[in-house]
Amino acid sequence: MPYLKDHVIGKTRSICPICGRQLPAQRVRRGEDILLEKSCPEHGDFSTVIWRGRLNINSWTCGNEPLGDDYNPNCPYDCGLCRHHISDTCCVLYEVTRRCNLHCSFCFAEGGAGEDISIDKIKRDICDIVRPGQTFLQLSGGEPTVRDDLPEIVAYAKAQGCKFLQLNSNGLRLAEDEQFVRQLAEAGLSFVFLQFDGTRDDIYRKLRGRELLEIKKQAIDNCGKHHIGVTLVPTLVPGVNTNDIGNIVRFGISRVPYVRGVHFQPVSYFGRYPAPPANEDRYTLSELVADLGQQTNGMVNITNIAPSHCDHPLCGFHSSFIAMEDGRFIALTKPDSEGCCCGVTTAEQNREYIGRRWSRPDESEIPAAVPSEAGEPDDLDEFLRQAKTRAFTVTAMAFQDAYNLDIERIRRCSLHVYADGKFMPFCAHYLTLGGGQ
Amino acid sequence: MERKLVCARCGKTLENKETYFAYFGHQLHTDLPCCPQCGQVYVDKELAEGKMRNTEAELEDK
Repeated sequence: MPYLKDHVIGKTRSICPICGRQLPAQRVRRGEDILLEKSCPEHGDFSTVIWRGRLNINSWTCGNEPLGDDYNPNCPYDCGLCRHHISDTCCVLYEVTRRCNLHCSFCFAEGGAGEDISIDKIKRDICDIVRPGQTFLQLSGGEPTVRDDLPEIVAYAKAQGCKFLQLNSNGLRLAEDEQFVRQLAEAGLSFVFLQFDGTRDDIYRKLRGRELLEIKKQAIDNCGKHHIGVTLVPTLVPGVNTNDIGNIVRFGISRVPYVRGVHFQPVSYFGRYPAPPANEDRYTLSELVADLGQQTNGMVNITNIAPSHCDHPLCGFHSSFIAMEDGRFIALTKPDSEGCCCGVTTAEQNREYIGRRWSRPDESEIPAAVPSEAGEPDDLDEFLRQAKTRAFTVTAMAFQDAYNLDIERIRRCSLHVYADGKFMPFCAHYLTLGGGQ
Repeated sequence: MERKLVCARCGKTLENKETYFAYFGHQLHTDLPCCPQCGQVYVDKELAEGKMRNTEAELEDK
């Protein structure tokens, strides 16, 4: 594929999405779009959009170490984490089942039936995973709540010293079975990542095959009653729900303190998806930043959004607020004027930061409400009380697939999947070749 | 008996006064012992290591 030299803005490595062999790749500017381009001698040329619009990609990624020659020629197939990997483990994702009670058009974990993983194996794995007082564990699947023994798994992980315990869930059982939610809370569950694709049922019919909005609301209420923090997790698919982003943020704010934030995930094409993606089927991080600004009337915008410090900046962003009782929405995240990510955050710092914000605080940590006259929001005690109870984050993670996989990003990944005795970067673990199913 | 705090510079007894803090672009206030003459305030260890540190942690990014 011929390039004008000044159109190439960066070099990295990727893979052929059909056969999986590692290939040199280039980030190429075409108009306002940035594409990741690569050629496989057997399967031809691939060009995948990774960035759109006016937000400057160089400002967003500045200070990030380019791949250079320090890469593993067998990446991502040599995984576990190798000596070329840069980031420590921030969060560990662990699948407790492959069963699911939905059959979605899009799913990173293909789901399926069959025999479940034994509780003994799960306990052995948890022993391997947990570093007492440190580990941030995500229980995932399939749909973890199809297991009746999930509270036992949660309690076991807590007993081993797991610091933050997250449940990834579609919310069906959390809505229908409050007793189960109570058991999870008593077992020590910290928070739920609730699949929440939008504020309209046509979105759920398209993505999940049925109307789910009322179920999601009930799941939030049940978790709220039992003091489990909820973060809403929309999968963003162009033409389906990218016009509902502002509504999702406002819905989340309206459910504070039950809801602790929104974690957007632009669609990626691994696991199960309908057909090999065209560039029109992609929604980039830069579009999300722009649409957040427009659809929230500037409440969440580039001046209060910071690129990921812990992972590669092209993998996500974070933005932290307090949704005050008087209706003010106070931004806490203040990147420098260029939106720069030059500061490096360790996995431990990141873990503490997000864990604290996604959990609801213990009653003992909350300062008492301040009597009315002094109880204005700028009073130190009142501010602290609301900062603890009404924290709200807007975050995003852009997962990679075989088409846009960038080994520079893989080696900065701090979200690691534990499987078969190994830790692997999330996108390397769920990589699907050959054009999807 | 309550301790009496005296300003080391002016020798005046400190009096409680609404005091503003600015941090990361946010302004918050609380009552602190303050010198009526020079305006210097006294922040005790409990406040510095407790509420003020917690407030910093809430306001700071990662």
